[in-house]
Amino acid sequence: MNETPVLFKGTRNGLSIYTDSRADISAVKCAYEKKLKESRPFFNGTTVNLTFTGRVFSEQEQQEMIEISTRYITAGSIEFKGQESLQAQEDRRVADPFESLSGSEEGLTKFIRGTVRNGQRIYYNGNIVILGDVNPGAEIIAEGNILILGTIRGMAHAGAAGDTKAVVAAFCLQPTQLRIAGYIARAPEGEAEKPQYPEIAYIKDDQLVIEPYLPGKGK
Amino acid sequence: MGEVIVITSGKGGVGKTTTTANIGTALALEGKKVVLVDADIGLRNLDIVLGLENRIVYDLVDVVEKTCRLKQALVRDKRFEGLYLLPAAQTRDKNAVSPEQMQQLCEELKQEFDYVLIDCPAGIEQGFKNAVAGADKAIIVTVPEVSAVRDADRIIGLLASSELPDPKLVINRVRTDMVKRGDMINIDDTLDILGIDLIGVVPDDEKIIVSSNRGEPVVAETSSPAGKAFRNIAKRILGENVPYQELEVEESFMEKLRKLFLSKKGTRSL
Repeated sequence: MNETPVLFKGTRNGLSIYTDSRADISAVKCAYEKKLKESRPFFNGTTVNLTFTGRVFSEQEQQEMIEISTRYITAGSIEFKGQESLQAQEDRRVADPFESLSGSEEGLTKFIRGTVRNGQRIYYNGNIVILGDVNPGAEIIAEGNILILGTIRGMAHAGAAGDTKAVVAAFCLQPTQLRIAGYIARAPEGEAEKPQYPEIAYIKDDQLVIEPYLPGKGK
Repeated sequence: MGEVIVITSGKGGVGKTTTTANIGTALALEGKKVVLVDADIGLRNLDIVLGLENRIVYDLVDVVEKTCRLKQALVRDKRFEGLYLLPAAQTRDKNAVSPEQMQQLCEELKQEFDYVLIDCPAGIEQGFKNAVAGADKAIIVTVPEVSAVRDADRIIGLLASSELPDPKLVINRVRTDMVKRGDMINIDDTLDILGIDLIGVVPDDEKIIVSSNRGEPVVAETSSPAGKAFRNIAKRILGENVPYQELEVEESFMEKLRKLFLSKKGTRSL
């Protein structure tokens, strides 16, 4: 695995540390120490609450992790959550809005000003808003929603991480292909009429549907 | 100090070389000192279209490798005052020069000439990177075909990332009869997708083929509609405001009759 087995994520309550349960414990410790060293200037002596998620640590491993932590930062509370069930994660997301930095309800948004052209690929782990056109051969991939204030003739994939509530909306929706989560739809064969009004695509009853988007009639 | 303009398209066979030769000749006819640089190393054509093949002694790679001085490699066109060609090497490939070397070459040529036109090879690889490296401006050539317009779009994106925004568009080989029937993507649709400024529309003209084979740029012929279109492009490059030619084609009597009786079927392509 090339990816780092340790991920840091700042939350309202402190620092959430995700550790890969498949990685070797020594690799996890090594990566954790390296990350801490790098981010030490950032914390600059403040007290940080630590929450470990992902990997289940044994007693001894927990001690070792605590020891590494205190070497670099002043730790407040230290909590080992271990493997979280998906439901628990979902509950926590609802309980703490700051946790849900991605998803289709709210989250980070990337703005693209200008035309996205053939051969260009935009990926973002949040929503994407495009102030311009998306030309054939271009790919827009978002883990959240995609809004295009222009014409889309290329490919758009909303909810790329599996969020079926994500939508794609455009002033002129003429994509070569449209994907939401795991659903794929393509333009009908033959000559299609150019849509005269904004349209929105979403998943309804296990099907990808496209509807006119009229003011006041929002989904 | 001159201006370096790269003429590119992405797709092959849309008329980059013809466009380079004709715009260059037209600029020379307007009294400018122009050099045409063939960046298509290994597949050189510009010399043939200009009819200068048999006068090549040194080439671009010789200049870059310092086998000769720049002036020695320049081929002067005797028919048009102020027109020069820097030919490509035919026995080498695109890796024979680097973008840095091209940049340096363009800087040198800019001191001597009013306009440096670079004929870019097809594709988006090394040859393209070399050709755009030293350019100040870009002209994109396309034809009214879906695949050519797609490639032009890709090129515009690549140019923007190599700090050559705002290229100008030449739509080549337009057949007005087909556009009228709705069998060809029209100019407005093309501009709608590409979203860049138009600098010329060149009608399809058999004379281009004849003149290319003979090595005589078509701009020299006053009767050719394509020649006129290229002259207009040159004038627009010089900053003149030239209105666009009405792209009329003469219809035969039978065609007119047929049109009277048959209702036209308009289809939208793209």
